Amino acid sequence: MRKIFLAGMVFAVTMPAEPAAHRLDEYLQAARLSLAHDRITLELDLTPGVNIASAIVPLLDRDGDHTISPAEAGAYGQEVLKDLVVELDGHLVPLTLTRVEAPSIEAMRDGSGTIQLRAAGNVEGVSAGRRRLDFRNNHQPEMSVYLANALIPEDADLHVAGQTRDPRQQGVRIEYDVRPRWRARLLWLLVAAAAVSTLMVRRARPLLAP
Amino acid sequence: MSSRPSRVLLAVLVAFGTVGVARLQRTAPSTDATARAVAAAEAFLATLDPGQRLKANLELNEKTRTVWSNLPTGTTMQVGATERNGLKLGDMKPEQEKAALALVAATLSRDGFQKAMAIVDADQVLETRSAPSRAPTARIRFGRGEYYVGVLGKPSTTTPWMIQFGGHHLAINVTLAGRQNVLTPTHTGTQPASYSVDGRTIRPLGDENDKAFALVNALTAEQQKEAILGVEVKNLVLGPGTDGKTIAPEGIRASVFTPAQRAMLVDLVREWVDILGDEAAAAKMKEVQANLAETYFAWAGPTTNGKGAYFRIQGPTVLIEYAPQGQGDNSTDHIHTIYRDPTNDYAAKAAAR
Repeated sequence: MRKIFLAGMVFAVTMPAEPAAHRLDEYLQAARLSLAHDRITLELDLTPGVNIASAIVPLLDRDGDHTISPAEAGAYGQEVLKDLVVELDGHLVPLTLTRVEAPSIEAMRDGSGTIQLRAAGNVEGVSAGRRRLDFRNNHQPEMSVYLANALIPEDADLHVAGQTRDPRQQGVRIEYDVRPRWRARLLWLLVAAAAVSTLMVRRARPLLAP
Repeated sequence: MSSRPSRVLLAVLVAFGTVGVARLQRTAPSTDATARAVAAAEAFLATLDPGQRLKANLELNEKTRTVWSNLPTGTTMQVGATERNGLKLGDMKPEQEKAALALVAATLSRDGFQKAMAIVDADQVLETRSAPSRAPTARIRFGRGEYYVGVLGKPSTTTPWMIQFGGHHLAINVTLAGRQNVLTPTHTGTQPASYSVDGRTIRPLGDENDKAFALVNALTAEQQKEAILGVEVKNLVLGPGTDGKTIAPEGIRASVFTPAQRAMLVDLVREWVDILGDEAAAAKMKEVQANLAETYFAWAGPTTNGKGAYFRIQGPTVLIEYAPQGQGDNSTDHIHTIYRDPTNDYAAKAAAR
């Protein structure tokens, strides 16, 4: 391979010229969903391809001053949010925008700029058992490709049982199991009891010593 | 003289200590590899002038270590940086470049170094093809001169430091933490996926592709039903810029594989693990094999080799994704892959100790 490397880069290129190196005419929208007892968190990364950046940039740069202000990014985030649907066991979960970061227009035009949108929905009172979360992304479907995945919950009482999607990954159903919280509390109680017992034994030792 | 509770406590501590030492021995390679890397890093840095050294040798911290990407020079990386860490080959004198590549070679296995350089060569092909039609004002650049070598932290046989070798479709991140050499997270990719040099066909990620197709076709129809997700996966799920995230595993568990299927899976995982030097790779493969029953294999796309298909291997200490980018009619000509360890990216375990 070293020989190849030093061969003066004399490549007998066998394929036709294909200068493009990036996603071209697709708007990649990658969603990651995080589950917790009291909330659903959404991370959505939106990356326009080189050939469609010109269609996406005006949606952000509304005043046409060739920069995307935080207010413009926030306004676009709200527009995207309107196109997202999250339901828990068939009940709508309203999402609140928590953060939007927009890249430079230059970065979007060369296909490397990613708009990072973060949102969360309150789901307090999720009871134990099998739960069903449905997520659907209806933003710019005619030009988009999608990814949608559940992250492993940080809370060990929640376990993702399965994910089913439509072929384009525009929508995903995440089934997950919620264990009763009393189990976790009982575990902590046992640990605390064990720690207290250990301390009591250690404190009692000098009295028991001859 | 000890009381009964104390003896129990002592027994527990001894047991934990034994497990800990056994675990350390299992995951820790010899310090020889680290010593070789230290010597090569010092030799490389010694060839640089003070200004170059400032660029090539940066502080190692939680921010600097994440500056890597699949994207070419002239773009904004996923973490927001506009330039990679280190010094690029195109800005080095011949002896400096020789020392830089010697550092990379000292860190990687022979096969791993060859794979990395084949990816670099593929990008040179891309540069040759794209340069004639590129606008003079275009910022994006491909080619061998756009690959960076960086040393993060002070080269040491005891304290953590890092070597980065990266450019378009390549981000080798090796964290050396005393006895641990850790390759994760690392990105490989290629465009074109196949090119010829002196009449020989080079496929930088050809073995990854072929072994994966062989494995999916070695599954029974029932197993394929579990493994194949039935969706389009157009890019990496946990690519550059997604450090610290772990997706829920999907696909088929290797616990139901036959011994032959397991061997094929292990052989496929080796394509990433073996990029690192032999000793560290051997330790990592032991860990992967120990967790094989908890490892999932997922597939998306056709099962006929030659067509573009995505696959993912995910276990307790490994995540590998292979994602054709579906560009134009030839969806196999532009590949992205990622290799992570959800428990030990950037040698997190060593840092925790």
